[in-house]
Amino acid sequence: MRNVFFIARRELEAYFASPIGWIALCAFLLVTGFFFASMVGFFALQTTEFGMSPYQDIDLSQHLVAPFYSNTGLVLLMLCPALSMRLFAEDRRQRSLEMLLTSPVRTVEIVLGKYFGGMGFVLVMLLATAHYPLILWWIGEPDLGVVISSYLALLGVAGSVMAVGLVASAATESQMVAFVVSFVLSLLFWVASWADASASGTLGEVLSYLSMLSHMDELGKGLLHVKDLVYYVSFIAVALFATHQRVEAFRWR
Amino acid sequence: MIVAEHLTKRYGTTLAIDDVTFEVQKGEVVGFLGPNGAGKTTTMRILAGSLGATSGRALIDGLDVFESPLETRRRVGYLPEVPPLYPNMTVNGYVRFAARIKGAVDLDAAVDRVLGRVGLADMGGRLVGHLSKGFQQRVGLAQALVHDPEVLILDEPTSGLDPAQRKEIRDLVKDLAGERTVILSTHVLPEVEDVCQRVLIIAGGRIVASDAIDALAGGERFVRVRVGRPGPELEAALAAIEGVTECSPEGEGRYAIRTREDRRAEVARTAACWDLLELTGRERLEDIYLRLTSGKNA
Repeated sequence: MRNVFFIARRELEAYFASPIGWIALCAFLLVTGFFFASMVGFFALQTTEFGMSPYQDIDLSQHLVAPFYSNTGLVLLMLCPALSMRLFAEDRRQRSLEMLLTSPVRTVEIVLGKYFGGMGFVLVMLLATAHYPLILWWIGEPDLGVVISSYLALLGVAGSVMAVGLVASAATESQMVAFVVSFVLSLLFWVASWADASASGTLGEVLSYLSMLSHMDELGKGLLHVKDLVYYVSFIAVALFATHQRVEAFRWR
Repeated sequence: MIVAEHLTKRYGTTLAIDDVTFEVQKGEVVGFLGPNGAGKTTTMRILAGSLGATSGRALIDGLDVFESPLETRRRVGYLPEVPPLYPNMTVNGYVRFAARIKGAVDLDAAVDRVLGRVGLADMGGRLVGHLSKGFQQRVGLAQALVHDPEVLILDEPTSGLDPAQRKEIRDLVKDLAGERTVILSTHVLPEVEDVCQRVLIIAGGRIVASDAIDALAGGERFVRVRVGRPGPELEAALAAIEGVTECSPEGEGRYAIRTREDRRAEVARTAACWDLLELTGRERLEDIYLRLTSGKNA
């Protein structure tokens, strides 16, 4: 399993050796920074307005932390396909996949290496947002549990989108196709719960369970349920298994 | 060292290789020849482990490439037709990565040794994507050699290179011969005569010849002469020389002569009377190659 680490490390370094990593990191910080600044401003306005009313209680965790991280999740939903699209498609186009396939490395090690390499970059992006909660502690007292579970939710969302992106990237030689396919699939999984209003009964429940958004919301409230973790882990596992089968199929075409 | 037994590969309905069987002894350098699309790359990829055969089996050092893929891949260094490079990495970084995933022992020493061997010792800090084609080919070769494999499989290692670079790669392969078992595919036939002891010729997915170059010729020699005053008398005189089996005019005073043994001296003496201008031993391998592959895989 040392090979997983070697491949992951190469993938992580590749993000920093090409513009895509730096562009994604800057875009991520720019957009979340904008969200953060405007939401803090709006929250300040709300507190002064409702502060006089004895009936309204404005809570930092519920009215600022949760919506902020929910929006950050949406940004990740759009950026992660741009990060995952190159993982296999680039290797296929420049024929370097042939080296991985003829090295004494198991297919599962290639898949996990690529996935963890991509997730390593996601981790770098999330660490780069650490100043937002620090600022919140400076201005108020957000619930630590909500912050931690929000980050877990972001990791779950990014992990799922990256896993879908990995399948798409293995399925095509074109990075553009991989991007569009993984973005559309992720978006559908994100909003699947919207249909549960019109789809009644079992179908509605299934759609609601499949939706990333509903699991994200639970975690965003600071509620750490096993079912949400099971959802993300199984989602990722299914996508990685599909990738494995796809890569293994390269040997049999 | 390398054994292919009844290898067959089908892509959908097309048959890429059909019942390919051959054996390569330890330390041998074998030239793998055949027209484009004859199945050379398919066969090499099966041996290297990046492609599964539809039927038949391939053994490296007695181990089946399908049953013990990791062990056989550890013993094989493979350079595909397009070198498998990461253009955004430095030469050093790339070769180190290759050394790691191929399980090279003593990383630093292995990388230094292989970079010295392929002549990239001062290029370690350069980006792979910025190198010329010849240097990229050497990086590809470094990747194949870094884990010190016993078997080398090189798919057209000299294609697209200039004559000087071709000679460098050829010398490198000659240098590697002896300690390693090498299969090398190429379209440059003099290269094969220079480097290889034995040739495998594949056409239409089947092995049509597998022997030492001299044995393939069956003791036949080829001579081509050019004279100043061609004519039917000369043709008759040449054909009358003992050991000449065939003499065919090729126009402009040129004659192609096939002989059983070396009859160059007699041919020269005869042709001198008709103003001999040139006498050359023809490319034997080219003749054999064209004879064996014509009509197949057109």
